[in-house]
Amino acid sequence: MLAISVMNGLVIGVIYALAALGVSLVVGIMNVVNFAHGELYILAGYFSYLFASALGMNFIAAMLIALALVFLLGIVIEVTLIRPTYGNDMYSLILTFILSIVLQNAYLLIFGPYPNKPPLWVKGAADVFGLFLYGNQRLAALIAGVAVIAVVFFIIKKTWFGRIIRATSQDREMAELNGVDTTRLNMLSFGLGCALAAAAGVILTPVFPVTPTAGVPVALTAFVVVVLGGMGSMWGCVVGGLLLGLVENLGAAFISTGYKNVFGFIILILVLLIRPSGLFGRAKV
Amino acid sequence: MKCKRRITAVAVALLLLCGSAWAQDTIKIGVVGPRTGPAAATGAAFEEGIKLATEYVNSKGGVMGKKLEIVFEDTAGAPDKAASGFERLVTRDKVVMVLGESHSSSALAEIEVANRMKIPFIVVEAWADEITSKNYRYVFRAGPSNSGVVSKTIAKWVVHEKFKRAFIVAENTDWGIGIGKLTENAIAKAGVPSESMITERNSQDHYVELTKIKAFKPDVVLAYIYGVGLHYFVAQAGETGVSSKAVTLDGAGPPSLWPDYWKNVGDYGDLECFVSSMHEKVELTDLAKHYREAYTKAFGKAPTDYKSRSIFDGILIAADAVSRAKATDADKLVDALEKTNLKTTRGMAKFSLEKGGAEYHQWEPPMLVIQWQNKQQVVLYPPEAATGKIKH
Repeated sequence: MLAISVMNGLVIGVIYALAALGVSLVVGIMNVVNFAHGELYILAGYFSYLFASALGMNFIAAMLIALALVFLLGIVIEVTLIRPTYGNDMYSLILTFILSIVLQNAYLLIFGPYPNKPPLWVKGAADVFGLFLYGNQRLAALIAGVAVIAVVFFIIKKTWFGRIIRATSQDREMAELNGVDTTRLNMLSFGLGCALAAAAGVILTPVFPVTPTAGVPVALTAFVVVVLGGMGSMWGCVVGGLLLGLVENLGAAFISTGYKNVFGFIILILVLLIRPSGLFGRAKV
Repeated sequence: MKCKRRITAVAVALLLLCGSAWAQDTIKIGVVGPRTGPAAATGAAFEEGIKLATEYVNSKGGVMGKKLEIVFEDTAGAPDKAASGFERLVTRDKVVMVLGESHSSSALAEIEVANRMKIPFIVVEAWADEITSKNYRYVFRAGPSNSGVVSKTIAKWVVHEKFKRAFIVAENTDWGIGIGKLTENAIAKAGVPSESMITERNSQDHYVELTKIKAFKPDVVLAYIYGVGLHYFVAQAGETGVSSKAVTLDGAGPPSLWPDYWKNVGDYGDLECFVSSMHEKVELTDLAKHYREAYTKAFGKAPTDYKSRSIFDGILIAADAVSRAKATDADKLVDALEKTNLKTTRGMAKFSLEKGGAEYHQWEPPMLVIQWQNKQQVVLYPPEAATGKIKH
């Protein structure tokens, strides 16, 4: 029981971290909470289902097109909805909340109420060290999730673009004085944040089929991970995601399966009591 | 300019008058159910049943010489929305009766409104016993109840198939917790050892639950999980090796019949069992045959989700009561409903008047246990309706 709970906690934790990274990126740079984050995750799932199942495309091509489309949609959302609200965080919050409801209803209208998913990348289950059977698609999702997180870390930590992102998130005015076009950076960052939601969506949809409202718990978990890890902290997302995944699974295994979601919130409250800015968050001076 | 305004005002007034006159030509009945939310598929099934029932009733002359009109209010599966939606149907739409619902938690909120506003309410697909055991005068149920499904179908099937160890897994809702507990008691009485577990309704991941189930080594898993959660459960039961050792029963039914069931669960869906009140080879009345034909003609496919037929029956029962009452007064409608003796697709509908328990104002239609065998539905239980034997 312990082995499979830890394994499952790690897999689910990586996925939580991936979903939360996009939220964290947008919050860190733009101070915008995107309430439609979960719906963009779902949109990518629907796209990959549409391209791979309905149009018969190769699943990798379907995933990449889905990612690109959600990235572009993210840019459109930033330009049309978010940009006019700069200076008032509440407006962007309300707008993205409305957007999430509009998207949920649009999905219901277009794709119907039934769950949808693209074909599995790999079928069957693997015997893990003779201890338990584990779905091959989940293992593939784990590898893909770790790979995407590694790429994001590389971009943020090692590239010129990443340096600009970090500089702007630390001191926007100073970055502007040094010639950073923060308006364009906002646009690209928002698009990247949406693309990260999409990455989580395309990786997970073969495991967990999407429905019009399935994005709500995804966004909620992502927000919990971001707050747990510390607003805007990438390492916070990874550690927070893994912690949440492990706590939920170990709690379900050894305490009660009926309160799986409650354990995460208990940990969140405990962490916030001790460190109000989250595990890796910077305290405001 | 003034003259133009007057003409416009007169035109608007005439239109409003005509509107109210037209409104009087119909008898309005409200339907509550989830058109959005995790069980929006039930709303889609309800819409199909509403269309067929309305056409059927109106083709037979309507109700009290007027056309029947159905107003469908979305409850999203949330009790607060359900209660306010019910109230809107009564105050805004002036419906004479309300029926529907498929979430027990929502129905439990709605029966309080029905009782307070004194509006007859026929629940069709919310199973919690508390809905009728409160013995409210204005609340009826023309559909399965937890205790009825367990005592008349599931527990008997478990004994009939000679299962030796059962695991009960139930979602943490009024329906899930209630039916899980009843099953536990019923199969314990029958001498079948079992273990139970509550699972989170919105959980996508059931690996931990399935590992616990596997350790118990059951030969049957009774799963009370509704919606897409059932698809996750069946697929993951296959991945973790549970379904290769035990038969899984979907204790609700419709999710095993949704169009994307096979795509979502893959080969792991074969040999899964589910309860249902509908099967093409078990038509209890000629009305059931009419329903199947009308459905196929209207939607270009065979009916699968039995909840579309449940709402069809519910509307027929409501229309029949209004016709016999020859009035829209709530108390006269309740009196008429209590005297219901109507042929529906699932047999003769007749509400029990025995007070004190969940039987009050309850009509329990027969249910079947069906198994997927090579993607074909094989009826296993009751024996008199069986079309094949269980496969492991």
